[in-house]
Amino acid sequence: MKLVPLIGIEVAAFLLIIGETYLFFAAVVPLGPVPHGLTEYTAIALVKVGLTFGLGVLWLVVMVSLTRLYVRSKLKTLTPTSSS
Amino acid sequence: MQPGLVDTGLFLLSFIIPLLFVVLLMPTFMRYLVRSGRVANDVHKSPPAKVAEPVGPLLFLGAVAGEVIAYLAFGSLVPLAVIGGATVAFAIGLADDLFVLGGKTKPLLLLLAAAPFVAAVMFQPDLYVSSLTFPLLGTTAAHFTIYTLLVIAAFPIVANAFNMMDSFNGQISGFTLLASSALLFGVVLHAISDPGFSLARVSSVLPLVGVSAGFFVFNRYPSRAFDGDSGALMFGAMFAALAITGGVEIAAIIAILPAILNSFYTLSSARGFVERRKMAARPTRVGEDGKLHASLEPSSPNTLIRLVLLSGPLGERDLVKGIFILTVVACLLSGAISILTWVH
Repeated sequence: MKLVPLIGIEVAAFLLIIGETYLFFAAVVPLGPVPHGLTEYTAIALVKVGLTFGLGVLWLVVMVSLTRLYVRSKLKTLTPTSSS
Repeated sequence: MQPGLVDTGLFLLSFIIPLLFVVLLMPTFMRYLVRSGRVANDVHKSPPAKVAEPVGPLLFLGAVAGEVIAYLAFGSLVPLAVIGGATVAFAIGLADDLFVLGGKTKPLLLLLAAAPFVAAVMFQPDLYVSSLTFPLLGTTAAHFTIYTLLVIAAFPIVANAFNMMDSFNGQISGFTLLASSALLFGVVLHAISDPGFSLARVSSVLPLVGVSAGFFVFNRYPSRAFDGDSGALMFGAMFAALAITGGVEIAAIIAILPAILNSFYTLSSARGFVERRKMAARPTRVGEDGKLHASLEPSSPNTLIRLVLLSGPLGERDLVKGIFILTVVACLLSGAISILTWVH
């Protein structure tokens, strides 16, 4: 049973959660000065929501890519070729 | 808050009573299920074995017994809120066991599991803290509305993730036992580091550990009892509720990473909520050698089981051992998160 690649994906998921959390606190939370009007307040709020959503999408994209890479590499070795 | 001798005794009771309840009553309940024809085919055996299902109702009663002890011992609403959420999830699971609900109906109905939980906040405002605590980085600002929306979303997500881990002998009971132990570790560290932390929150976790440990005796390979959706959804809802009341959401997410990845893989490759009985292609098959093989169909859903089997065919016992190894790694990472968050 070779679980090392899957443990690698699991650890990558973990590190991404931690890394993105740091990014969230370091870059997204402190965004923008104290707003003077409703327009600036709304704009900053929307940018923050957008960036947070972006971090979530980044996690999904990396996870899908890693899994596809793993499945493709395994299927390549398991699927019998026409010459065999 | 540091527990005294009496508190430690009460902790032991809220662990041992559910454990003994399940271990002692399970044989009788299994015989009752078999006599009334409530058996399922263990399709991963050749020839398929008949196994008593669903034992979810007994697991539920065991969990209720433990939470009632926690409530009587510490007088907080936390155990009642936990069992409230678990009751709704259990009822939905039981309806699915008896009548089979649709792939989209279950997650939608599971949103209701948060209702008793959120209602309990009206009576005990400190039931949960409306913020998240991250390792090293600290705590977010409290925001009741956003946090409560996350609480409502958490129940169907976590309960379904647990349900999707219920495919092989011993998988759900072992997974729940490991994950709830990691959760308990986080909650205990939280209690030690925070003088205002109620011991009821620690005591509420113990019934889940006890029930899953008791169930593992009968559910491990070769299984003599299956929990059904009533048991798996209840386990998930309890886990979500305990992570929220214990304030250990991040560590809890990490502990169930294999389940989260599994449901994410399944949903993304099956393109939405599909009842497993209606999946077009199966992720695995039983080979003539009696071992489980990954389906080589490119259209097969990428469940965690299929990903493990892509390395080579395995017997059911070894396959579940592989899932446990992945869960142990996740629980160790969760433990690291708990230490980084609560040990200063």
